[in-house]
Amino acid sequence: MAMLRAAAKKAMAVVGTGAPQAASAFSRTLHASPDSKKIVGVFYKANEYASLNPKFVGCVEGSLGIRDWLESKGHQYIVTDDKEGPNCELEKHIHDMHVLITTPFHPAYVTAERIKKAKNLQLLLTAGIGSDHIDLKAAADAGLTVAEITGSNVVSVAEDELMRILILVRNFLPGYHQVIKGDWNVAGIAYRAYDLEGKTIGTVGAGRIGKLLLQRLKPFNCNLLYHDRLKISPELEKETGAKFEEDLDAMLPKCDVVVINMPLTEKTRGLFDKERIGKLKKGVLIVNNARAAIMDTQAVADACSSGHIAGYSGDVWNPQPAPRDHPWRYMPNHAMTPHISGTTIDGQLRYAAGVKDMLDKYFKGEEFPAQNYIVKEGKLASQYQ
Amino acid sequence: MAMLRAAKHAMRALGSRASDASPFARTLHASTGSKKIVGVFYKANEYASMNPKFVGCVEGSLGIRDWLESQGHQYIVTDDKEGPNCELEKHIPDMHVLITTPFHPAYVTEERIKKAKNLQLLLTAGIGSDHIDLKAAAAAGLTVAEVTGSNTVSVAEDELMRILILVRNFLPGYHQVINGDWNVAAISYRAYDLEGKTVGTVGAGRIGKLLLQRLKPFNCNLLYHDRLKMEPELEQEIGAKFEEDLDKMLPKCDVIVINTPLTEKTRGLFNKERIGKLKKGVLIVNNARGAIMDTQAVADACSSGHIAGYSGDVWNPQPAPKDHPWRYMPNHAMTPHISGTTIDGQLRYAAGTKDMLDRYFKGQDFPAQNYIVKEGKLASQYQ
Repeated sequence: MAMLRAAAKKAMAVVGTGAPQAASAFSRTLHASPDSKKIVGVFYKANEYASLNPKFVGCVEGSLGIRDWLESKGHQYIVTDDKEGPNCELEKHIHDMHVLITTPFHPAYVTAERIKKAKNLQLLLTAGIGSDHIDLKAAADAGLTVAEITGSNVVSVAEDELMRILILVRNFLPGYHQVIKGDWNVAGIAYRAYDLEGKTIGTVGAGRIGKLLLQRLKPFNCNLLYHDRLKISPELEKETGAKFEEDLDAMLPKCDVVVINMPLTEKTRGLFDKERIGKLKKGVLIVNNARAAIMDTQAVADACSSGHIAGYSGDVWNPQPAPRDHPWRYMPNHAMTPHISGTTIDGQLRYAAGVKDMLDKYFKGEEFPAQNYIVKEGKLASQYQ
Repeated sequence: MAMLRAAKHAMRALGSRASDASPFARTLHASTGSKKIVGVFYKANEYASMNPKFVGCVEGSLGIRDWLESQGHQYIVTDDKEGPNCELEKHIPDMHVLITTPFHPAYVTEERIKKAKNLQLLLTAGIGSDHIDLKAAAAAGLTVAEVTGSNTVSVAEDELMRILILVRNFLPGYHQVINGDWNVAAISYRAYDLEGKTVGTVGAGRIGKLLLQRLKPFNCNLLYHDRLKMEPELEQEIGAKFEEDLDKMLPKCDVIVINTPLTEKTRGLFNKERIGKLKKGVLIVNNARGAIMDTQAVADACSSGHIAGYSGDVWNPQPAPKDHPWRYMPNHAMTPHISGTTIDGQLRYAAGTKDMLDRYFKGQDFPAQNYIVKEGKLASQYQ
């Protein structure tokens, strides 16, 4: 295995990212021999919650429901939640693991340093969507394949975004707080509670999740705008009534609600900085279930405090888990949760099935579904370039 | 006015069959004299000045003060509605019109109706007039009308929000955040997508239909129970299935949404027995009226987990007292009564109230669907 690894790395270093002749090195790398493989999975721990639901496959205890299947084939399967620091459980297995399964809900940060140490590593699988917790360039340079379960959470996240839009527009949380405190003050909620109908919603990104959100928004009779690198199909534009906005900064000031639906890439990191936030409509509502690092953390906190952002809701943070003192926990006008939208039981079942399917293909030397590749043969998927 | 009142006595003697429509017509063809209009709304205090569109509060007075006073009418607005010495009681003897609102309901009892010698018209700024003793109002020859349609979109949106909040287990996550915690598993062990779940609406009137339309892209199994079946085109467009028998529909549901008015038939409909027959772990959304449910039965079922989530904005009574059990039961996502009183809703029901007052002054009929009590008869949904 060390020979394959070294050869692949050398080949890549010489030829760079456009490497047709090195394809065979990768295909060899990924045509796993029938030997026993060491598969490591990093998920979140459930403790007392593990036994409360037999379908709870996404936690450490559930192990994606593939332990018996893997072990019956003679593979080794190590699952942990302990991912941070040089002495963590994950670090012990880096040097000889063949496959690492990670998940955005408790992300193992796969840095260039860790990749260097992972001499046997061939495949990085994301149980879910979003592989920005992996240094994708380093993975590409090292000849690794990175793949995720494309489609596994798209419905989950779109539903969750619509829920958050309504929570912010309708001013739900202040009412809930009143109830649990023993209060009753309708005016304290109603003075800034609105219907969604007739408002202008802009989605920044109209990929899989953005399209599903637009479809779910349609019956609400809003003014729907979308910005993306690509226009959506004319049929879908007509079906949803959504209007294409080629220029992001021309779209944003029109929006009562802004929803972020892009991956975290070099291009989108810090996209919503203090300046861009300042140009949003005063009282804008923002929903971000994409990645937190797309926003400037402090700029969001400041704008919520000033009221320039009248409501901010999302399930993504930088970093994750969010530390106890993360400013987004305590800023006014928020409706934050931990990272949960894609890890509903339904989502877990889908990504667990997708991981099993890709492991099966890996063992058999078969290709993955094309849309699942994030890094293949030294190249990053288009949305990450 | 004593003559008109005699007509009312006559009506009572006749019962609710109003063969003699003319006394009512006369009652409602207001003379061109100055009228005393009383409105009971919620008070906003410091919130009143924060939004110029905030017409629904006492301070905002539906935005019709200048209009009423310029026509020579008297307009008294208060939030003080409870007890024999409240502000409302002072004006009962001589008011011609009482405007009430479900979000801070003035309970118009038979006793109060008896004292209201000048009263001709009860207008509900919003939807739902169960805070009025409708039979007593009918017997007294009063007209009761509400601003039908003013909040239907508001409530349908709000119901969908609550369905998602419960299914996706939002609140435990929020609590973790504000408590400094992070424990994904404690949320995700019982968080689900709405897709593919069975959602049943009890009642498919205006609000129920709008809810079903908004649910359609979520690809659920949609069921509805109502006295009336929908037109086939609408059923097909929405993909909802008619369930003639309520008690057959209920056990099929992962999520139940209440969309009926509070009437004699629906009061206490969801008692301990009926709740017990629901699927274990059912989620319930009730933005209709608190009294459709048995308060304690809901609290008990939430505590046992038979109801995995209960969310709504309606209580019995309102305002809800500090110790109302629904504030403290587990698995709830309750708010005060707000869904129909968004700024957008307020603007609609303020405009609708103004329109009906205008017609009242001019002796014109209201839109037919606005009548709740007319000429001694209750609207069909309340019979």
